[in-house]
Parts: sequence; structure tokens; C-alpha cells
Amino acid sequence: MDDDEAISRTLDGDLSAYEVLVARYSALAHRTAALLGAGDEAEDVVQEAFVKAHRHLAGFRRDSPFRPWLLRIVANETHNLTRSRGRRSELVLRLGAEAGTAAPDDPAGAAVATDRRARLLRAVRALPERERQAVVCRYFLQLTEAETGQVLGLPLGTVKSRTHRGLARLREEVGDELA
Amino acid sequence: MSSREPSDDLEAELLALGSSLDVPAPPPADVAAAVRARLEAAPRGHTARTGRPARPGRRGRRRWRVVAAVALAVVAVTAATPQGRAAVAHLLRYAGVELRLGQAPAPVRTPAGLPGERAVAPGELESLVAFPIRRPAALGAPRTVLVGDGGRVVSMLWPDGTRLDQFDGAPEPYFFKVLGASPEAVRLPGTTAWWIGGEHPLGYIRRADGTSVPLRQAGPTLLWQHGDVGHRLEGAGSKERAAEIAASLR
Repeated sequence: MDDDEAISRTLDGDLSAYEVLVARYSALAHRTAALLGAGDEAEDVVQEAFVKAHRHLAGFRRDSPFRPWLLRIVANETHNLTRSRGRRSELVLRLGAEAGTAAPDDPAGAAVATDRRARLLRAVRALPERERQAVVCRYFLQLTEAETGQVLGLPLGTVKSRTHRGLARLREEVGDELA
Repeated sequence: MSSREPSDDLEAELLALGSSLDVPAPPPADVAAAVRARLEAAPRGHTARTGRPARPGRRGRRRWRVVAAVALAVVAVTAATPQGRAAVAHLLRYAGVELRLGQAPAPVRTPAGLPGERAVAPGELESLVAFPIRRPAALGAPRTVLVGDGGRVVSMLWPDGTRLDQFDGAPEPYFFKVLGASPEAVRLPGTTAWWIGGEHPLGYIRRADGTSVPLRQAGPTLLWQHGDVGHRLEGAGSKERAAEIAASLR
């Protein structure tokens, strides 16, 4: 069942079809919420977003892709949450287990690679929120510039300039030590 | 999408960093069931014209709560972090184990045993330990049974390197583990376990004064709780096999 068919069936009242959509996009929605700053509340944000998406599904333009439409709702819910907490959204993240890129028989090299990633992650975390969100969407979520604009509700030019400024700042922070 | 060529090293580095980030999420089927349950509880989306007969949100609800409760146990460590935990970003207390999540930890180089640890005959176990002991039906009789720390910990060891620790995990954590990456939730019948896929430092927390005493580098481990008894299963190989053994405890 592709997205379009699942949406049609959902609009006809078939909740099982909607479950298929939810399961399909669940991991991406959690990743988006967590990376945009929902932290430990990502699970709540995602549930709420899926409930809202169901409610507004009739207004979804069927000739456009479902993914950025849904992620926009996730991003909005995350924004509502961080605003209600009255503080800057936090990027609470941990490096994955296999963060090192060096050969396994080169523990020193692996440690250096891990350290470099940790520093880069810290630098991303320290970016001004607007730039960080653009960088997170473009590189951590691997969205296109157009999708990033749709998800963050920004014109394309703004996405480009925020990404550009964010990258420039990261380059200053971690500089040419990056391999 | 990801097909575009990164124009320089920093962009490539960011893409690689993004791929290595570990973002835990509940099983998609649980999320779907929880969302469905909410939609059924408050029907009348503007969209659904005719609902099928409402079913209660039977499937995911309770599981969802378990996951949520476990997630709530994650507490941010503040500036008041005790010494020696400075690099810890999060603490997760579960099944009598304190998981200290932070930067990649330094390995324990000198293995040590638990205080007072000694081999006992399987038959005398019940008289030495204050909590109910269970045995995995999926494995044969253990080669060695150890009791440590005044009966607080029972360890069963099998010839293939499998090790099952059962310990009194209430009210305070007994073991600690230092992790560079988040554990992964694994569903067991009636509970959620955590899978730690990599090698990591293991130690215990001395009850008398709360001191953290390192023990050794532990291999991949499954952690779960049954009643007040914490369980850690090490050396089972894959996550699936570990879950299978865990589910076979009688």
C-alpha cells in the first residue's frame, strides 16, 4: 500500500490504513522531533503530531509528497513544546556506538575520529537556533533545501542563507582540523 | 535528498555525523497502536467519514506506558554531578542498574570480582540468597554458580561464556555501566529490556557509602527486571538470542 492509497483509505475511515502510515514514518518523525529539540519528550510530540495529521488529512494536497507535510507538523509540535518550556530547545544527543571511521585495528585513530565528531556535535549544538535547525534538517535529516523550507516554514532563500551562515560558523569552530 | 554530492569536507562530515547519531524511538507498531488508540478514544476527526466499529486500543496501550515510564527514568545530571561522573550526559536507572551515558568511556583494564564472591553448590543457593532465584530453561545447568556481596548477587556461568547475574536491585541501583551510546529497548513478555550492544565498563555501587567500584569490561548485555530482581545477561551473542534466553527464565 503506497502513501496515496493509505491516505485514501484513511479518509474513508480506515484506521488500519492510517496505522500503516504511522508505522512507516514513525522512526523519521522521532528523529525529526529529537533532532529539532524535543529531547526526552519526542515520543509525546510524535504521537500528538500523528493525531493532528489525521485530523488535518483532508486538507493535505494529494499531488504533493506526504513526508515533508507530516514533518512540518512534527516540527510545529516540537516548536510548541520548546516554546511552552520557555527556553531554547536543546539538542540532546549522543554519538552512536560505531562513531569511529578508522580501521578497527587502529584504536588511536578511532579515538581521534570519535573525538572529532564529538567536537563537531558540540559545535552544532552551540549554533544559534535558526542556523542549527537549518543545518540539522539539511545534514542530520538529509532533507533537500526545498523540503527544509517546507518543514521549517521558510522561503528557500532563507534556508540557503541560514545553512550558509551555520556552516561558516562551524568551520570557524572546528576549522581545518576536520579531515 | 541524500543523493546530492556534498560540496566540501565539512558537509560530508556533517552527513556522516548525522548518520552516526543514535536517536532512540519506540517500535513503529507501538506508535501506530498508540495513535490509533487516541484516535478511537476521541473519534470524529474531520476526515473519517465512517469509522469501523471502535475497538479499544488493545494492542499498544500498556506497552506504550511501559516505554513511557522507562523513558521518564532518564534524568538529566546537573552541575551537582558527583566527582568522577563529570562526562556523564544522562543517567538511566533501570532494573537495579545505573547506566551512565556520556562520552565514550575508558575501558576497565584490571578486572576485579565482587566482594565476597564464591562458588556455591546449586542446591544451597536458596538458603544463601534473600530473593527468588530463577533459571533459564533455554540453557542447560550452569557450570558454575557464584554468590557475592553477602547474598546480594547470584551469577550463573555456562561453558560457552554466557553469564546471568540476578541481583537485588531495590531500592537503589547495584551495578553501574558506563556507556558512550544509548541502550536499545527490547520487548520481553510483560516487560521492556535494554540491550547494550558494545563492550563497556561495568562496576558495582557499594551500599555502605555509595562508592562506585569498577569490576571489568563487560561484553554485550541484556538488562531487565522481574519483580524487585534485576537481571543482566552477558555473552549470549545476539540480541535475539539474549531475549530468547531471558524469556525462558522459570
